[in-house]
Amino acid sequence: MVKVVKSPKKGLVRSAIGHFRAITEVAKVVVNPGTITVHYPRERRKYPENFRGMIMFEKEDCISCFRCAHICPANAIQMYPDDEGRYYPGIDYAKCIFCHFCVDSCPTAALKQSKIHDVAYKDVDSMSVTPEEMDNVPEIVREDAVTVEYDFDRDIRLVKRKEVENLLVEVDKPERPEFKAVPQYGENCIGCRLCMFSCPVNAIRSKLEETKVILETDYDRCTGCGICVRICPTEVLILTPVEREGDHQ
Amino acid sequence: MKTYTLDVPVTPPKEYESYFVPVPKEFLEDAYRSDDFVVFTGPQHGGSGHMRLIIRVKGDFIVEVIPDPGYVHRSMEKIAENRLYIQNIPLFERPSIIDFGNYNLGYVRAIEDALDIDVPERARYIRTILAELGRIGTHLYDAGILAVFLGHTTGFMWPFALREYIVEIFTRITGTRITGSFIVPGGVRRDVDAKTLDMIKRMLDALEFRIKKFERVFIKNPTTIARLHEVGVLTKEEAVKYGVVGPFLRASGVEYDVRKVEPYEAYEDIDWDMVIGEDGDGYTRFLVRVEEVGQSINMIRQLIEYLPEGEVLSSDIIAFNKNDIRGSFFEAYADMVLPEGEYTTLTEAARGTLLYSIISDGESTVPYRVRIVTPGWVYLKGFMEACKGHRLADLQAIYGSFGYFPPEADR
Amino acid sequence: MADTASLVSILLDRILSIFVDEMINIPLINPIVERLMEIPFVNVIVAFILWKPIFHVLILPGLLGMTLALLFIIYFERKITARVQWRVGPKEVSRRTGGVIQALADGMRYLFQEVIVHRDANAFYFLQFPLISFLPVLLPLMFIPAGGTYGIKTIYTIPAALALISLIPVFIVAMGWASNSKFAYIGSVREAFMYFAYEIPFLLAVVAMIVLYQTPDPFEIVAKQWILGAVMNPIAFLAFFITVLIATSRLPFDIPEADQEVAFGPYVEYSGIIFGLVMMLPYEKLYLLSMLSVILFFGGWNGPEIAILGDLAPVIYLYIKTILFMCVVSLARSIYARYRLDQSLRLGWGVVLSLSMIALFISAGWAAWLRL
Repeated sequence: MVKVVKSPKKGLVRSAIGHFRAITEVAKVVVNPGTITVHYPRERRKYPENFRGMIMFEKEDCISCFRCAHICPANAIQMYPDDEGRYYPGIDYAKCIFCHFCVDSCPTAALKQSKIHDVAYKDVDSMSVTPEEMDNVPEIVREDAVTVEYDFDRDIRLVKRKEVENLLVEVDKPERPEFKAVPQYGENCIGCRLCMFSCPVNAIRSKLEETKVILETDYDRCTGCGICVRICPTEVLILTPVEREGDHQ
Repeated sequence: MKTYTLDVPVTPPKEYESYFVPVPKEFLEDAYRSDDFVVFTGPQHGGSGHMRLIIRVKGDFIVEVIPDPGYVHRSMEKIAENRLYIQNIPLFERPSIIDFGNYNLGYVRAIEDALDIDVPERARYIRTILAELGRIGTHLYDAGILAVFLGHTTGFMWPFALREYIVEIFTRITGTRITGSFIVPGGVRRDVDAKTLDMIKRMLDALEFRIKKFERVFIKNPTTIARLHEVGVLTKEEAVKYGVVGPFLRASGVEYDVRKVEPYEAYEDIDWDMVIGEDGDGYTRFLVRVEEVGQSINMIRQLIEYLPEGEVLSSDIIAFNKNDIRGSFFEAYADMVLPEGEYTTLTEAARGTLLYSIISDGESTVPYRVRIVTPGWVYLKGFMEACKGHRLADLQAIYGSFGYFPPEADR
Repeated sequence: MADTASLVSILLDRILSIFVDEMINIPLINPIVERLMEIPFVNVIVAFILWKPIFHVLILPGLLGMTLALLFIIYFERKITARVQWRVGPKEVSRRTGGVIQALADGMRYLFQEVIVHRDANAFYFLQFPLISFLPVLLPLMFIPAGGTYGIKTIYTIPAALALISLIPVFIVAMGWASNSKFAYIGSVREAFMYFAYEIPFLLAVVAMIVLYQTPDPFEIVAKQWILGAVMNPIAFLAFFITVLIATSRLPFDIPEADQEVAFGPYVEYSGIIFGLVMMLPYEKLYLLSMLSVILFFGGWNGPEIAILGDLAPVIYLYIKTILFMCVVSLARSIYARYRLDQSLRLGWGVVLSLSMIALFISAGWAAWLRL
């Protein structure tokens, strides 16, 4: 249970053996070096598919749910409005710490990882990437002709392949049910209509019936982003998973 | 040895007043009057790290070392009060990014403690594997720093090359080389596939193969032994008195390891030995850590062998896919509120006991107060005491033997 | 006017006659030399350059040879250390040649860097010593012969060279003093301590070899070495090798300039090209001591004759052997950590001193036996 380490005894013979061993080991390495260097711009290290590199963005998939901006520990994501009033994320790479909490938070895989990790910016301002620029893959100069992969087989082995690796990763949509915002507890509604104004796809409509505001969700339009749910001060709207489209519970 | 004092009126240079040094003027005047020499080492010095050491030497012997830490202080505990609980995970691994497993683990365990989350067995094992890999990496890193402090350049490069193995495994598991942020309340972010587990096994063999070379060139090198043997001795009583922690406490012969005393995660399920030393000198402190690397390798082998099948995310958290948090991270953690109270965990990080204490007011999504006690700060006093009476050249040897890491101490 | 012209030509002829007697004879370039010797004025210059003492001091193995050797050894040291340390080493400066000109490129960088003389330094001495320290480096070159060439030919060349080499630490201590900085002060004191610790065993090791050959004349020493000196008296070689490591501040003895402890000690305040000069000092010393050790222990310029090179062949043998010795010494850097000052003083005054004493007795024994 307890292992005790002891300092070696000192002595002329022991130290002579120590000198001899160190010298022979170094001589061995001189003859047969164990170099593990990857000549980076000309060779590129192969990284796994889940590598947390630059974040790619698909505008079509984005539902403007603000989850990424909300979860970001470094406040690096800012939501920019477009002409239609919808908000899309833009990442400030000066702040980003590549924790990929945003990627893991994204319900539609609009934000996804890539293996790009070597982008240089001219100045701090250009590091703040807008959604329009995020749509494009960042331009990097590829000098590499060889892909190096570390492998282990009693000793380390550098597997070199003559190929140019695709740095973009194909990502499936995450496994999650489809959600719709359902105005479940209409009796709580105070008629502030914040949900209506905040909805990025105008899926919520309100009707005035006498003194009461009745909310109605257009389920074909609703993306289940949950902004209305978060903004509602009295918890009228609830995000509810649906089994099939149109068949909401 | 008889000492002769020169009765020459000497005044400390005026510059000391404008250096913002944390020592009183009387100290300097006294040192100058009594024929001592005050050497300022750091923070811009090859052997100081992000810290200033004010060393008073008598001849070649150190009389007193006054540390001036805080150059990498970033007010982590205060920043934490303005962030969501989950956002603090990347923050709290910053003190020692090479040892992120243990640093995440302590904080996450405190949250799980508060919310009463059961962690699946498989996740526990994966967490332990990450923590132990981080421990190996940190010990290798410290060995490299020790070697460069002793002027052994090969001893510096080899552990850093070996750490590349660990980093490669980290990349395959977490997707990033350091700063994993991989351990989350209720499990880990992603499952580890069989290919990676097989890779870890082979990596450990390769690591052992090269550590043997490293042992011949640096660990058992007569110059290393000469520099570290009987240098910076802390006896058992002194080590306890100055509050030294971790491998440095164990090197003085105290049997204390949080992993044994209050086992957490999977440490109970596997067979391993607590490593202690006898002499409490610099070389023993180094040897204890070398032996711990061997123990960790052994532990990871067992963990992979006994790794249970199943889910990696707890059923207590909202995760649509229990093997991958992707797509449900926000639902699971964004609105986390801890019940009112104080939650404290002890973790054995690579450099010693790590304490997290979260105080929650029970209604906000941010902690009311988080206290971190990092090992670096705790053993600073022991480090300073160990230097006394040794030669000026020993300062770096003792520094390296403690593996002192200013970012960890300053937070 | 005619008189003046004839006077000048007579004068030139007289000067030429001084050089021609002791010109180095290299059959390979003889046709070119003969062509050039027919041209007035140019012949004086050619004769001057090929004059043995000047050729020795300025070209090979002198200044030019030394510069090339240093550029090579710095590159080689970095490359071999990188090889041991699982790295690649300097490569990007000229990738086709594997980065051979890296040391030259570093020198160029130093040249364009600002030389800062800080306020507390004694500016005059601070800038002067790095330049003057070339004297004890170049002067020993005059005395150490290279077979085909030589600077000053006396039988006391080895003692004279040793005396001049011993001056180098004085300049290093002076540099530390002129820097007027705490780390420079500590480094200078360490250098002074180390100086005394290695100098006596070093001299004794050399004296042992002089006793062995019963002459301080390098020409005779080399002629007598049909068995290598290192084989005849390995103990003397061991003592000499360790003292060379200490004298040139190689690991495990780079105590005066330990960068993690005293931040390059005496050189801490230097910057720019002046720093480049002072950092070359240990390497220059290594070059001189390697040359000396090749003469004493490895048969100097002995080797098969090459007719086409004539007098140059022995010089090249000595030069190559010197570089090989330097390569072996440079490997020590990747094997060892640094000893502490007191430990290396104990080593110098204890083990190495006794080794050199034993070496002296062995040499005396050989000498007595060989005379019988």
